[in-house]
Amino acid sequence: MELQAVLMAAGGGSRMMDLTYNTPKPLLPVGNKPLIWYPLNLLERVGFEEVIVITTKEVQKMISTDPKVKLDVKMKLDLVCIQEDADMGTADALRHIQQKVKTDVLVVSCDLITDAALHEVVDLFRAHNATLSMLMSKAHEFTETVPGQKGKKKTGEQRDFVGVDDTGKRLLFMANEADLDEGVVIRKSIMRKHPRMHIKTGLVDAHLYCLKKSVVDFLADNKSISSIRGELVPYLVRKQFSKSTNSPKVIDETHQNLKKNDSNVNLEIQISSRDEELLHLTQERSCWNDHRGDMSDAYHGGRLRCYVHIMDEGICYRVNTLAAYIEANRLAPKLFDEPAVHPSAVVSERCLIGADSIIGASCQISDKTSIKRSTIGVSTTVREKVKVTNSIIMHGVTIEEGCNIQGSVICSNAVIGRGADIKYCLVGSAQRIEPDGEHTTMSKACSA
Amino acid sequence: MSSRGGKQKKGNVTSEQEEEEQPLQAVLVADSFNRRFFPISKDQPRALLPLGNVAMIDYTLEFLTSTGVQETFVFCCWMSNKIKDHLLKSKWCRPTSPNVVHIITSDLYRSLGDVLRDVDAKNLVRNDFILVYGDVVSNIDVSQALQEHRHRRKVDKNISVMTMVFKESSPGHKSRCEEDDVIVAMDSKSKRFSMGTDEFEIRHDLLDCHISICSPQVAELFTDNFDYQTRNDFVRGILVNEEILGNQIHLYVTQDGYGARVSNLQMYDSVSSDMVRRWVYPLTPEANFTDQQGQGCTHSRHNVYRGAEVSLGHGSQMEENVLIGRDTSIGANCHISNSVIGNNCTIGDNVVLDRAHMWNNVHISSNVEIHQSVVCDGAVVKEAVHLNKQCVLAYNVVIGPNLSLPDGTVVSMHHPEEEEEDDDDEFLSDDQEVGHSKDKTRQKAFNPAEVGPEGKGYIWKASMNDTEDEELAQCLWGLVLNPDPESDSESEASEESQDRTFQLEVLGTLQRGLEENIVCDNLVLEINSLKYAYNITLKEVMQILTRVVLEYPFQQQGTQLTTLQYTGSLLPLLKTWSPVFKNYIKRAQDHLDCLSAVEELFLEQDTHQTAMVKVLMKMYQLEILEEEAILKWFSTGATNDKSRQLRKNQGKQRMSLQRKESEEDESSEEGE
Repeated sequence: MELQAVLMAAGGGSRMMDLTYNTPKPLLPVGNKPLIWYPLNLLERVGFEEVIVITTKEVQKMISTDPKVKLDVKMKLDLVCIQEDADMGTADALRHIQQKVKTDVLVVSCDLITDAALHEVVDLFRAHNATLSMLMSKAHEFTETVPGQKGKKKTGEQRDFVGVDDTGKRLLFMANEADLDEGVVIRKSIMRKHPRMHIKTGLVDAHLYCLKKSVVDFLADNKSISSIRGELVPYLVRKQFSKSTNSPKVIDETHQNLKKNDSNVNLEIQISSRDEELLHLTQERSCWNDHRGDMSDAYHGGRLRCYVHIMDEGICYRVNTLAAYIEANRLAPKLFDEPAVHPSAVVSERCLIGADSIIGASCQISDKTSIKRSTIGVSTTVREKVKVTNSIIMHGVTIEEGCNIQGSVICSNAVIGRGADIKYCLVGSAQRIEPDGEHTTMSKACSA
Repeated sequence: MSSRGGKQKKGNVTSEQEEEEQPLQAVLVADSFNRRFFPISKDQPRALLPLGNVAMIDYTLEFLTSTGVQETFVFCCWMSNKIKDHLLKSKWCRPTSPNVVHIITSDLYRSLGDVLRDVDAKNLVRNDFILVYGDVVSNIDVSQALQEHRHRRKVDKNISVMTMVFKESSPGHKSRCEEDDVIVAMDSKSKRFSMGTDEFEIRHDLLDCHISICSPQVAELFTDNFDYQTRNDFVRGILVNEEILGNQIHLYVTQDGYGARVSNLQMYDSVSSDMVRRWVYPLTPEANFTDQQGQGCTHSRHNVYRGAEVSLGHGSQMEENVLIGRDTSIGANCHISNSVIGNNCTIGDNVVLDRAHMWNNVHISSNVEIHQSVVCDGAVVKEAVHLNKQCVLAYNVVIGPNLSLPDGTVVSMHHPEEEEEDDDDEFLSDDQEVGHSKDKTRQKAFNPAEVGPEGKGYIWKASMNDTEDEELAQCLWGLVLNPDPESDSESEASEESQDRTFQLEVLGTLQRGLEENIVCDNLVLEINSLKYAYNITLKEVMQILTRVVLEYPFQQQGTQLTTLQYTGSLLPLLKTWSPVFKNYIKRAQDHLDCLSAVEELFLEQDTHQTAMVKVLMKMYQLEILEEEAILKWFSTGATNDKSRQLRKNQGKQRMSLQRKESEEDESSEEGE
């Protein structure tokens, strides 16, 4: 086994609380499939047979009991629960399962929806014997109007500066705008080794990482790191060019130091793999080099290397905001070829269903309805003369006669009263919308 | 300006035609406005120094002509007569020259800025022009860059004011000038200097050729901004004001082609060897592009060039990359490699030359060894002299016999002090009028230990003056900058040094305050202004202040103080400066920060830890620190073993403090 897959599915979805109030994030329906299905499917497609899923008790329970949550994956799922209230970061979670990690790991976040060719990332990892390789994609503009928001939302998030070398693969620099006081500071020693650095902003990190086993071991030793994206990755990127990791001498020294006082926490990362000796020999004897311009060894003798694959095209979404959620729902049908209308759904012949809509299992769609660019969840009942456009209707929703729903998200088990007119709204689970009401851009999220 | 106005009147079509018709102009600055080549440039302006036996300005003019320039303005200042004479004799001033050369001289030019302001005042340029220095050696065809520049100007209505020509060369390449180690942030698509866009590129593999294509506005901008002195000032000014003025600077990157500015001897060495190795083709030594009689030479294998009438003694070897000028004779059993030898030189027997640059009329006796050195016109090297690396023998110097000059020796007929005296009118330029008739009384005797028994000349020390600026100017061979240590520390080096200088400044201020009895209020004022000058946060100011004061006794009386002596000298100081402290320590957080600074210092000075009790006590008594703050500091968790130990030591003190406190309370109550 070359890589072990680890799926991080314990996140609370703090940036879209309206949706995750009743449904945990991994189980939010996207295109009538739980969100977690997408990364699992991604892994299954490339041939993983087993995956470690780090999740919460709640999710585990729902996966095993709730009939609506059908993962339908053939992989063996090794569900590991962590406490929900422990406020564990992704790196903490990885540390939690250190015992299970036998080889290098592929860490995927549960909110990733992509059609990326995973092998690109893994190939970088293999080809360069990298410590870290990750996936990024050009950020997308979300065009759809987000329910419950008036006007256009500013992109409040701070930009990431990502520096790659001339090939666009080697990750040289990473900084978030928030951490920068006075502009971007780049060490000259990096510039000397990599004279051309492309600084990119407007990239979105897919939160998909290939990590060496030694990194997981390092995490186990170093408890101060709690998040992969926030702390571990920037740390590794920086460490690429620090002397202590590069010269073998120093590493020997730290080894000795380690032996001397085991109590001292080892803060240095040790990068070594099983065939280190042989690899070193091959590199020495080979005339291959990763750079040109100076006469130094390949990788300038560095032992820690980070790579990134940046997708130019294709779908890559992280469903962590409402806007992303809506966008993902719109695009999800393109990712799998299943009939848009589930066979068990009862759909009247005298209704209009657009080709870009999905109707879930055992739905009831009555006469004279029109459904366009929308997703209708499992066991939802849609009565006569209803018009649904650009909306996401989750499971078990009842929509009474003559409703008009546009650009909205209706969460599970909601009931929309007769003749209601809902535009750009978010209706929380089990909410009741009074008949004949007219609502625009509001969010009735939690049952208060 | 008027030319531009005229163009606008005529409209687009005619202006385009006009652009085509107008001759391409160039501004050549034949002065470096620095003294990097001192003392060599005392006798000869830099532009006329021979490189591959041809004056450097000829390379520049040849480059301009071959790129299509039809009118060149040569601006000279230092030794302008010599340059003028040289140009008048050269092919550029013949009536057949495709490139009309105008020589403009003035003693008033002090910088590139002055030259360009003069260009504007005299209204010399009508269109885009090329700006180069007289020491640029290049074979780059800039017509492509020129075309791009014109296109940009046409599309964007004069937004692009300058296109700088860069050559690709990775770091570590020997033609990269250490002092000119540029890092460029550019927009890869538009080739613009920028940082703001979504995607940009940072390049460290570019070499500034010091060739710029300028729009006519450049001269105007220099006039408008009379503080611009150099091109760097200009570039910085444009980039800083880009959003306001909308001017942009673009760059043109060439992959092949050669371009470099001979800005110091290191560069001279590299460019000269590149020349001999034919990197600057078609400007090669045997091409005789200056079209002068007798300059021709033959080119044979291993890049060996021989001028006319060269005689080579029996057993002498010219290994490779050797250029020998006309009428030079070389004795027997010599070994010459990677060297350039000028005209009319004589070289004795058993001479070893490696990377030597010998100019005209040099006499080398037998058994001499020269490595990577420059020997100027008329110099004489006597028997058995050994020149180590990076030596310079300036004009007419005599060295030897039987002497070995250490690395980096500079010998000149001009006495270094003579130059220093001239320094009074302090601008740094080559163009100081040095008295040619020397004041014999002032001249000191040559030191035989330095230049040999028969030697003539004075040693120039590499760093005669203490100030850094002067040192830069003195260093002929250019700086050898140590690569920044690839340390792990994430703190920025520059920031640290800024803190450090701030600390020194604060120390100086306090010292002066003590000596001159300055009122504390004024000290506070001074420290505040320092704070702004170095951009230091208030917290750091306080911590540094605390540190400086606590270290003051060590500073004054050495580090071997006993604890008793230390406290003895420190406590009065604390009293004197307590108003300064009070000014900075106001909020509760300030107290804690101050305490942590105290703690940090005493952790370093662990022999004096016991003094900390007294210091804290005194600070408390002087009402610099509040009791609550001290107690809070004491109770907050110690971050490591050492500080825990420290706190333990303070335990007793805490007790006494509390006791004292209660006593005080009582007494005050009694008083009431």
